[in-house]
Amino acid sequence: MSNATLAAAKPLSPWLHEIPVTAAPGMRVPARVFADEVLWEKMRQDRSIEQLLNVATLPGVEEAVYAMPDAHEGYGFPVGGVAAMRMDDGVISPGGVGYDINCGVRLLMSELTVPDLTGRLESLVHDLSRSIPSGGYANPHMRLNAAELDRVLKEGSRYLVERGLATAEDLEHTEAAGSLTEADPLAVSSKARERGHDQLGTIGSGNHFVEVEVVDEVFDPAAAAVYGVTAGRVGVLIHTGSRGLGHQVCTDYVRLMGGVMARHGIVLPDRQLACAPLSSPEGQHYLRAMAAAANFAWANRQTITATVRDVFTRALGPAGRLRLVYDVAHNMAKLEDYDGRRLCVHRKGATRAFGPSHRDTPLAYRGVGQPVFIPGSMGTASYVLAGTDEALRASFGSACHGAGRALSRHMAKRTVTGSEVREQLEAKGIVVRCPSNAELAEEGPHAYKDVDRVVSVVHEAGLARKVARLRPIGVLKG
Amino acid sequence: MTMAACPVPEHVFGEQVGEERLIIRGTTLGDVFLEAARGLRELYGELDRPADDPKWRTIEVTAETRADLLVEWLNELIYLAESGHWVPTTLVVEAALPTCFRARARGVRVAGAPSQIKAATFHDLRFDFHDGLFEAEVTLDV
Repeated sequence: MSNATLAAAKPLSPWLHEIPVTAAPGMRVPARVFADEVLWEKMRQDRSIEQLLNVATLPGVEEAVYAMPDAHEGYGFPVGGVAAMRMDDGVISPGGVGYDINCGVRLLMSELTVPDLTGRLESLVHDLSRSIPSGGYANPHMRLNAAELDRVLKEGSRYLVERGLATAEDLEHTEAAGSLTEADPLAVSSKARERGHDQLGTIGSGNHFVEVEVVDEVFDPAAAAVYGVTAGRVGVLIHTGSRGLGHQVCTDYVRLMGGVMARHGIVLPDRQLACAPLSSPEGQHYLRAMAAAANFAWANRQTITATVRDVFTRALGPAGRLRLVYDVAHNMAKLEDYDGRRLCVHRKGATRAFGPSHRDTPLAYRGVGQPVFIPGSMGTASYVLAGTDEALRASFGSACHGAGRALSRHMAKRTVTGSEVREQLEAKGIVVRCPSNAELAEEGPHAYKDVDRVVSVVHEAGLARKVARLRPIGVLKG
Repeated sequence: MTMAACPVPEHVFGEQVGEERLIIRGTTLGDVFLEAARGLRELYGELDRPADDPKWRTIEVTAETRADLLVEWLNELIYLAESGHWVPTTLVVEAALPTCFRARARGVRVAGAPSQIKAATFHDLRFDFHDGLFEAEVTLDV
């Protein structure tokens, strides 16, 4: 990114910078970056801002494009990028959603406190690691035949109620009730189905995890009470997505859209922004395939939830009951309404953060705002926040999705070894299960930005407000 | 990451904050494709295991350009690893053209499908030829 382009950026507040539409050729709307000075400097050091300006060149982009405070360089969109497209002349971009369609986070809360786990935490985390396949392992207990996979793709979490793996309350406490109606299993390739058919109920690799948490501090007692997040109580945070099925959907449609763009005369600065007009058959096909993959992801997190519940109640009896607080997606393109405008909002590494008065905020959370979860890295805090009505105007109802990577995986491994990360976590009393030391080093706290700072910007900028902080006591890494 | 001092064919991994950047160099197109497979195998932790699958299979990909062909090739290997729990370790080039690559392969069965690499992407994709060498760069989504 040239210094001249960055010099054109104007601070609109201590937490918001705007880069005007004149800053780079082809920009159709300005780019807005939520960051304090430290995070802004971090973003200037990689290509996140350049990638955001590329997003601003997409046809039919509305109002402005946004980078969340955790934004970092990705491909196509930066991770932490948000853009809304008009339905009539706008596009839908698989690169604006990412490979892990509907990667997301959910929080479960129990009535347990840390003393209830005395002498049991190690075995509890061990049982979780034995019961929930991670890394590349498939789920031997959940191999889906073609008809069952169709139902997962079509119905998402809703299908799992019938199988006794979800409750009606779980659906109420899941974004979009865990099921996008646009989904069409026929839009999903056989390759994608092959990659996903034995992966329901698995975490996968990378930064995915299941963590046992304790509520460390409550900032907004009223909202925390509504969410059932009480200081000292134990909960479980689950982070994963649509696994190989979603990855293959993205691969299939990025390839397809190369030809579509040529037909529509769309020229882009980065091929990974590959897109198709929302009004085109290919655009509609991707929307339906993406929705099917999103449903798979919700069903995946719901299946893991059922396993976690089983492990907790086996180990701890009825006191181990876990209630779903909420489930949020953070890689998705969704059709949403803004002041009478229907838009396709792309969030790549960003979380929907609807406020107290939004009709899509679950009934139980109206008046408070939908829960938003911002996981830190292993060993650091994670946060519960509440969406705001202000975010609708400020960022198309979006907040960030994590701390954001600061180091490449190779740099992370050169900086510290996996066994050192393991020792550091154990010294903090955190029980860790991870298939490899290399992955521990890649995903250690040193590889990520300061989550406290990221959350502070989200709060101060009014995108979501802090409700509670969670502290990990058990980590199961993918 | 420089490759100036590397023998060919060779691969290295470049720095990218969010993903993996695979850089490959070879004197022939076939070299580049085999070395790309070797790079992927390294990420899978399957670099040293000899083939234990007696059956040979043919893998073929096509695309409009050699750069797109490399992406197709890597994505096919990723698909085979994840859906079939199989990683090719012995590859024999049958055809290496700018729009088609075909190889015979034997490989190893893996207990857990290597899933840490989601896909090969078109982001900053490069496949150059200069001074008698092919050099390609491809970003892998992690």
